[in-house]
Amino acid sequence: MHLLPTPLEELTLGESSDLSHVGSPRRLADRQAAQRALYHRLGLEEPVFYVSRSAHAPIRWYWHGTHNQYHRWVQQLLRGNLGYSYRTGQPVLALLQSALLYTLPLMAIAIGLATSLAIWLALGFALAPAEGGGWQALGRTLLMSLQAVPLFALALALLLLFANPDLLNILPADGMGTAYPPLGGLAWLAAYGAHLVLPLLSLVLAVLPGLVLPLENALRHELATPYSSTARAKGLTAWQVAYQHALPNALLPLFTTFTGLLPALVAGAVVVEVLFALPGTGRLLAEAAAAHDYPVVLAGVLLTAGARLLALLVADVLYYRADPRLRPSS
Amino acid sequence: MNARGPTRFASGSAYWGAVAWLALVVGVGVLGPWLPLPYPPATPDLAHIAIPPGWGNSAAAHYFGTDPAGRDVLAELVFGARELLTLSLPATALATLLGASAGGAAGFWGNRGLALPLAIGPLALAAGWWLLALPYWLISSIILLIISFLIFIYQWKFARLGPRRFAGVTLPLPLDSLVLGVATLLSAVPRLVLVVALAAGPPLSTSQLLAVLVLVAWPDTARLVRAQMLRVRVQPFVEAAWASGLPEWRIWWRHALPHACQPLWASAPLSLAGLIGLESTLAFLGIGLLPTTASWGHLLGTLRQEPTAWWLVVGPGSALLFTLLALQEVARQLSGLHSSKEYFNKTASDVTAAHLRTKIK
Repeated sequence: MHLLPTPLEELTLGESSDLSHVGSPRRLADRQAAQRALYHRLGLEEPVFYVSRSAHAPIRWYWHGTHNQYHRWVQQLLRGNLGYSYRTGQPVLALLQSALLYTLPLMAIAIGLATSLAIWLALGFALAPAEGGGWQALGRTLLMSLQAVPLFALALALLLLFANPDLLNILPADGMGTAYPPLGGLAWLAAYGAHLVLPLLSLVLAVLPGLVLPLENALRHELATPYSSTARAKGLTAWQVAYQHALPNALLPLFTTFTGLLPALVAGAVVVEVLFALPGTGRLLAEAAAAHDYPVVLAGVLLTAGARLLALLVADVLYYRADPRLRPSS
Repeated sequence: MNARGPTRFASGSAYWGAVAWLALVVGVGVLGPWLPLPYPPATPDLAHIAIPPGWGNSAAAHYFGTDPAGRDVLAELVFGARELLTLSLPATALATLLGASAGGAAGFWGNRGLALPLAIGPLALAAGWWLLALPYWLISSIILLIISFLIFIYQWKFARLGPRRFAGVTLPLPLDSLVLGVATLLSAVPRLVLVVALAAGPPLSTSQLLAVLVLVAWPDTARLVRAQMLRVRVQPFVEAAWASGLPEWRIWWRHALPHACQPLWASAPLSLAGLIGLESTLAFLGIGLLPTTASWGHLLGTLRQEPTAWWLVVGPGSALLFTLLALQEVARQLSGLHSSKEYFNKTASDVTAAHLRTKIK
């Protein structure tokens, strides 16, 4: 990992530091001093890792001890400090916190919506005959084509359809923060909801095919089993058989798929938040990556990996709760 | 395999339409530099910025309009197709190759199957020491080489003793854990986030971006081929090949691997579609590639500067959509073709296998 500013940044910073004496000949010593000050401020004076290797001909290895950037970063991480942004100098933790304030509600609503919608759609599809027509066949075909569309194209299409002055201009597409009612109150809630509609719609539509189609297959498999026949023979309606008998068993192998939603949505947030100008973690990550703001990028990746771990943990707990066979028999 | 039949959604006309569209994209991409385009790509026409499509009266009209930087949309479209051929297609091919060989080897040899001679250990250490130029590289490499040589001589001389007295000791390579571990590590973070983080440095060159795409794409193929290989390696025809005394690598290469790679017919077009989507998402976000690189995703991204320019969406959007749908259709058709045959009933690559097949029936 290169933890040094790129030439582009040096150029920008150099120019801005030179603004005070425009026209005067640049003095080498001044520039070097400015660069040293910059490196000192960003903590880039020290070597990157414990050992380093000389780049040129007599190749040698150097041992730097604990005075290196990586050691410092890990040390600070263990103390709960993720470092400071190169761009703004703010603590990364504070940046992440304020971004999560926007992303977490979005994620929670998207997960809830996608899961419930997927279950209802899969039940509807599975109860229809496999070769039949009707809304189920249409919906299935739509979902299969939707599977091929990348999230950004989907979100862009929604944006053009519903937030276009030339077509339907019914939903806001600009970011939150501009002309925004004060926190709390009904007006705030309405504006907040209106701003979330398009991002939510694109996220849910993007993850829906991956949930509905496997669940439909599992449901069809379960509906063909003898216990479903027994349930039907007892006189239950098709809906009761599917919902009460087949669904719990069909959901079991898909917990992993459903908990995979969380990382998928985190990645989706990168696209959606950039496109709809929401100040969440995804946009923070994308902008930090574009500006080589490494502390923020590292924190974003750590957060995403943490979300993955959390999802795996949730999957395990759900399996334990849902499947009595997994519990240790007392 | 598939109880509902492979041709449930596929119809002949859809498949041939998909193939025709893909052929068109490939043709345009290959012939791009020689097509009579009115404007070259990546060259701003500052007199016409973000103008709608028009046939105009001038000799060189912007038939598909221009983007907010004054670049001709038609030229960008054509060279975006070229970008698919030079980036996404090689990335998929390399990732499939890497994933198939890594997953195939991991599934075939497992953790203990691939036993290297013990002398390889010090030899590899010596090579690594030499290449990295670690401290005392000359003397250390020579000592390691001598140790390796001594082990070789000893094991060769006392080979008849068998496993006793260190003579038959080998170095099993934990191939399965290695491949699975790396694959798990790479998929711990969503693809897009991983690529965004890897591309956070200075803009990548095309070959570097290719390497990044291969890195994030191979684990899926490897898992698929490994799972299939675990099933294939216990098939009777593989056991027959073992029994007939063929060398190990030949059984792997000629007998087991072709069958373990059957699911790739369906998965390779889908992974190409995935990589095209990933590449255009990156271009859309403006991360990774240089902003002058022509790409459909980049063209779609310029819409953010000019939200009412519908001509920036219609061309690249439908081209992207048609390509991805066509790849999905091709994958569906190919999976139907290749899953209807049981993998051990496929054209036998060996007389033994053919013989066994008749016995199975």
